Amino acid sequence: MAALIFVLLTAMLVAMWKGKDGLATILFLISLVAVALLFNHHVTDSLGLSL
Amino acid sequence: MTALRTGIAQFCTLAVCGVLLGAFYEQFAGTVLPCPLCMLQRMAMVLCAAGPAWILALSLRRRVGPDDYARGYGASVLGAVLGAAVSARQVLLHIEPGDPGYGEAVLGLHLYTWAFVVFVVVLLVSGLHLMLAMPAKEERLPWQGASRVVVLVLLAITALNAVLVFALAGFHAYLPDDPTGYRLFEDLGWSTPSE
Repeated sequence: MAALIFVLLTAMLVAMWKGKDGLATILFLISLVAVALLFNHHVTDSLGLSL
Repeated sequence: MTALRTGIAQFCTLAVCGVLLGAFYEQFAGTVLPCPLCMLQRMAMVLCAAGPAWILALSLRRRVGPDDYARGYGASVLGAVLGAAVSARQVLLHIEPGDPGYGEAVLGLHLYTWAFVVFVVVLLVSGLHLMLAMPAKEERLPWQGASRVVVLVLLAITALNAVLVFALAGFHAYLPDDPTGYRLFEDLGWSTPSE
């Protein structure tokens, strides 16, 4: 999962570099949500609450 | 003022790149490997640096205006809020008296504590920039060669992180809480599993 998010972040930076601003915005938001969900998983996993 | 705005964007991006390179140094020269929360903080730092890097990338193609600055520093704020939450969580995990913390301390503070400081500074700089230093109209930014290098450095560090995390996690969905080796090499039989 973590490697996948870094691939998303790399793709976002490539999209910025190439001038694809709409795609970069979408990838930024997907990355943000993915990081938040992974954080949620790590927080709740130790409590036995993770899905 | 245009030069100052460019300098701030370049400095902010490079500062976060420097922190990420410091984390690489700790990973390879230190005694402990990064835990899942450390990796989440690295991701949030890339999100923080992506804001000013976005402004710099835009400036390579056209004039940038207030809306571009707002988008860039707004992105930094979002990344910094998320990163501060993650680093605060890790600080609180080790706040009990007598807890040695995770990893080695650098200048008296652990890396996750430094990360919290970095995220708060990003919030302050982004907020101050949005409040005080927005341009009135579109402008062409100077030092485009340096801007190009700065964006490429961030891109290279992010791609390197993807490779390193894949080496740490291997073909498993999640990183272990307390990693002891590179699981990709262990899975492939290139190294023996450590403890």
